[in-house]
Amino acid sequence: MAEDKQLNPQESLQLITETIQKAKGGFHETGVSAILWGSVVSIAGLVSFVEVYFNFYIGFDIWLIVLAAIIPQIFISIKENKNKKVIAHDEKFLDATWMVYGISIFALIFYINIVPGVSEQMITHYDNSQLFTKNITTNELTIWKPYIFSQSSLYLILFSIPTLVTGIARKFKPMLLGGLFCLVFFITSCYTTNLWDMLLLALAGIFNWLIPGLILRSRFLKGKTC
Amino acid sequence: MFAELDPILHSQLRLAIISLLIGVKEAEFTFIKEKTNSTAGNLSVQIQKLKDAGYIDVVKEFKDNYPNTTCKITSKGIAAFETYVNALQQYLKVQKP
Repeated sequence: MAEDKQLNPQESLQLITETIQKAKGGFHETGVSAILWGSVVSIAGLVSFVEVYFNFYIGFDIWLIVLAAIIPQIFISIKENKNKKVIAHDEKFLDATWMVYGISIFALIFYINIVPGVSEQMITHYDNSQLFTKNITTNELTIWKPYIFSQSSLYLILFSIPTLVTGIARKFKPMLLGGLFCLVFFITSCYTTNLWDMLLLALAGIFNWLIPGLILRSRFLKGKTC
Repeated sequence: MFAELDPILHSQLRLAIISLLIGVKEAEFTFIKEKTNSTAGNLSVQIQKLKDAGYIDVVKEFKDNYPNTTCKITSKGIAAFETYVNALQQYLKVQKP
């Protein structure tokens, strides 16, 4: 590009438009994080579905791989930040959205694990009561332990929030559609049993993150080779 | 009367630099060089001119033991860019039959 080439107004306007377009294409995400989380959630969901459907147990809670995925994610984030040559205006806002989402997931795990026990204690100690279920055929009474109904629905609605925000902010249709699919899965999960909820979680992982991640990856690699 | 076009911005490379920086929060020297297809020497000179005019902030630091320059448009730069684009629009309106 010439140092001091004088431009006419039309050339100037064309240069501005072209350069702004070039800048837009400059901050493609690598897609690695989305692929990681999409794979982990879909694998965990599918394995849980197969376990319940065929009535077997693989020997450990498959959802632990979601916790394990935090370790590679830390390394991915450090590497990507090191290699980042440009920071977009919405970057901080989106980073904060995903960070709050991560905290909310942990808060939800805490809620799901703590609330049933606390509810049982409250019912027993404060109300001096106990909950039972009654078999309407045999009239047999069984002690009922409180639990959170349709837990997967809560995860699904949480999954959709940062994905939709990113899809809207970045005008990235695959993530926008993924987030909308996730909302549909959320509504569906309110009517389905735990077995099918696991399948919905797996589908959410695929549509929310795995497919958009693969698209981002392909765009990033194309941009690198251009 | 037409507003006079800002001579600092009315040059190909400086206008390209400002147009790049208006769309991002900040960008590294290597990114600007790649997107503007310019040479390092030429780009350094033009960045310095924009910095002297107060249109951009330049931060020089070390990243992985290598010098790294990051540029960011200032509010003065944004205002100058907006004025420049408005002036361009005025010229183009008159040129249209």
